[in-house]
Amino acid sequence: MPIEFQKGESTLHRLDARTKLLLFVGLTMVAVIIIDPIFIAILFLVLYAFGARAVDRALLNRNLRVLVAIFSTFSLFQILFFTPEDAFLLFHLIPGREWIPVTVEGLIRGVAVFFRFFIVVLSVHLMLYTTPPVYLVLGLTRRERRRGLLRTAGVTVLLGAVFYAAARLAIPEQIARLPFEAGAQMALGAAVAVLAAFVVFGLATHGLPPEMGLALSLGFATVGILSQQTQRITDAQKARGYDVKPKNLIRRVRVLTALLLPIFLATLERSQDIAVAILARAFDFNISARTYRQELRFAAPDYLVMALIVGLILGGLALNAMGVGNPTEQFVLRALGA
Amino acid sequence: MTFDIEFQDVSFQYEGARSPALQHVNLAVRPGEIVLLTGPAGCGKTTLCSCINGLVPHYHEGTLTGRVLVRGYDTKRARIGGLSSLVGLVFQDPESQLVTASVADEVAFGPENLGVPRDEITRRVAEALQATRLAGYDERDPFSLSGGEQQATVIAAIYAMHPEIYVMDEPLANLDPAGRAQVLRLVIEVARRRGKTLFLVEHSLEETLPFVERLIVLDGGRLVRDGPVEQVLAAGDIPGVFTRPPIVRLAEAVRLDPLPLTPQDFYVRLRDQYPLGRYSEERKKEPVPPDGSAVIEFQDVHFSYNGQHAALDGVNLQIAQGELVAILGRNGSGKTTLVRHIIGLLQPERGRVTVLGQDASRTPVHELARRVGFCFQNPNHQLVAFNVLDEISFGLNAHGIASEEIDSRIQQSLEFVGLQEYRQAEIFDLGKGQRQRLALASVIALRPDILVIDEPTTGQDPRMAQDIFEILRRLNQAGTTVLLITHNLGLAAEYATRAVVVRAGRIDFDGSFRELLPDLARLRANSLELPQTTLLASLLAAHGVQPWLTTYEQLAQAVQALTGAAGAH
Repeated sequence: MPIEFQKGESTLHRLDARTKLLLFVGLTMVAVIIIDPIFIAILFLVLYAFGARAVDRALLNRNLRVLVAIFSTFSLFQILFFTPEDAFLLFHLIPGREWIPVTVEGLIRGVAVFFRFFIVVLSVHLMLYTTPPVYLVLGLTRRERRRGLLRTAGVTVLLGAVFYAAARLAIPEQIARLPFEAGAQMALGAAVAVLAAFVVFGLATHGLPPEMGLALSLGFATVGILSQQTQRITDAQKARGYDVKPKNLIRRVRVLTALLLPIFLATLERSQDIAVAILARAFDFNISARTYRQELRFAAPDYLVMALIVGLILGGLALNAMGVGNPTEQFVLRALGA
Repeated sequence: MTFDIEFQDVSFQYEGARSPALQHVNLAVRPGEIVLLTGPAGCGKTTLCSCINGLVPHYHEGTLTGRVLVRGYDTKRARIGGLSSLVGLVFQDPESQLVTASVADEVAFGPENLGVPRDEITRRVAEALQATRLAGYDERDPFSLSGGEQQATVIAAIYAMHPEIYVMDEPLANLDPAGRAQVLRLVIEVARRRGKTLFLVEHSLEETLPFVERLIVLDGGRLVRDGPVEQVLAAGDIPGVFTRPPIVRLAEAVRLDPLPLTPQDFYVRLRDQYPLGRYSEERKKEPVPPDGSAVIEFQDVHFSYNGQHAALDGVNLQIAQGELVAILGRNGSGKTTLVRHIIGLLQPERGRVTVLGQDASRTPVHELARRVGFCFQNPNHQLVAFNVLDEISFGLNAHGIASEEIDSRIQQSLEFVGLQEYRQAEIFDLGKGQRQRLALASVIALRPDILVIDEPTTGQDPRMAQDIFEILRRLNQAGTTVLLITHNLGLAAEYATRAVVVRAGRIDFDGSFRELLPDLARLRANSLELPQTTLLASLLAAHGVQPWLTTYEQLAQAVQALTGAAGAH
């Protein structure tokens, strides 16, 4: 089932494509930073609630359901093999020989990991479902536009502040170990953060060259065509008396190979068509002076989402730094009297 | 005098090709001219078009000699991008030219490439959509549109680039009659509105001739005719290359002057030049359709793709052994949905489809396929191999035919469709018409009792279309029941024994062509286009000509009798 854009008017649909890209990247980071299973489960549910309002719930469920088994396996691995030394032992899976200990920490980590993966997957799904591919590409593509100096400076400083705060929270010991006085340490840290912010901001606004942008958007468009094509070819094979769902496993593999050839043929033909079509529309006229019909502009909800993501990242880091990043685990351990 | 397009002794041979695609072409087109280029499949029409915007030799590699000048620029030295800003090129298959996910983006794509400022792009998009009657389609997904709408989108996309020269390579080929009329009108309007040069390539002369000023005939890469329409028509047919519309040939036979291009003109001139008597030919009996046992039966069949809109809405239909039935109707009326039920690719929601005594919804497709052959509309969508031999043996292997027999079956089916020389060929080397016949051959090789074939003549030149109908008739005479979806009413009436018209998922008409053809209201409601011969016959109906005549020979006999009896002035 390819993930294709679904038309809609939801909050997610209205967000800027770049915000949704940031949302995806940000949530991936948040999912790594936050380790408490209940926090992360709540985050997943909130995201799912937004998602269910944006796209057909049945479609979303169908896509997520496939992954339950895979992510459960990951989570099982965590439960079985995440065993820190001073962990609270529950039991051994093979009791006689004391093999494979199962611990409270492992169980809790397992649950968190399960939701962690789902947050990442769900955010990709929502991004692709609610954003026309063309906008995504546009968000990634370079455009020739001058930016005000003040605006650039403002964004850079803001971004630098976030970086600095994140660094202080994530790696306080490493910073403390630097051989400088406290004041110099702070100044140096701030300078490095602003420099990093400048580079990141510069890269982000620079974007991909238009050729790559177009290649990406054609790629997105082709996914839909390919799934249609696969259906057509399967129909044609059935109509030629070919059993496309044989019971025999080896024959099934042969069915798949019989499908590969025509799909390859179709893809090759399509790529040639596209090359001719875009050339005939003056794609190589003067690529660096290319203009764009649509302009992407951030609105209030976009800034809100960005602030939220930054808040979650910094908040998560702060809780971790204060040693209260996983209250669920602490609560369970206390209840068990550890 | 400066020309918009100028070919100076141009020859071109594709890399790896055995023979040149163009040979010593000399051609000059003035600004604002409307030119029609025609010729049999494979004569070099597309290559000639590709020369104009530099795809030849910059994208399609090969040896180009002579000079192609576009508004004075030598295409060898120009880039495709630069030439494309002057030359708007529209190809045959609209779907293959769509590159974005919304109509507005599609139209904006060209102007964006040209670096047009944003406000201007917005203006041009609106203007182009208006001009192509696509206003309100901005956010639609181009791939979900009908063929006619897709082609209109492509034309809008070119229009928005404000080219000086429009080159349209068979823009009507993939459309149904309603779409053809719409797009043809559009093409002419677009060029006239801006006073731009239009270079149009088309097989269908009947439709296009009334709109153009100059006619060029290409054969084997050479220009064999070039001049004002009347002059080229007056020079006569070239067997196998250039067949003038039947109206024109007939007008010549009865010495009408000047040569009419439409049945209406013909009728008016005929009346002016001859006192028309009455034609009273002994009425030939209507061919009796075979009344064998029913091999296909639809009983109150309902189907919908999305659970809401009914694609089939209570269809009842019986097809008898040995019939050759034409399924007619506009695009989206449910023709393809109907025939897909016959081989079980779709199952009815309600009702029952019985094929050769089996319930089609309960029998697996590959089982039904043992006795029912099915040819899809686009041959590219059903090819399953890289070369001709594998393509035909695919089905034979799936049917478990003994390998000794496979060879002879391949030979027979290739001979049947006239592809025996291509036995060793690769699929890539075959043109669309040849692929269509290959698809047919690979189904014929399975020796089905029933053959279902979906629009076998789309995008083929008139001769190839006739060939395909000949093949179907021979198959039918050998005992195969044939069901055929087609937009070509003329050929259908000539070859099929029965007409079934599908309209909005229901059977709108089921009977003989003699009943259907004079029913103009019904034809219009189903956007079925009468061939010019039949149109003329219906104009002459008051003089006793049967309004269902379709072939040139039938009509010539009638017209000559009408005029001959009265004698020329």
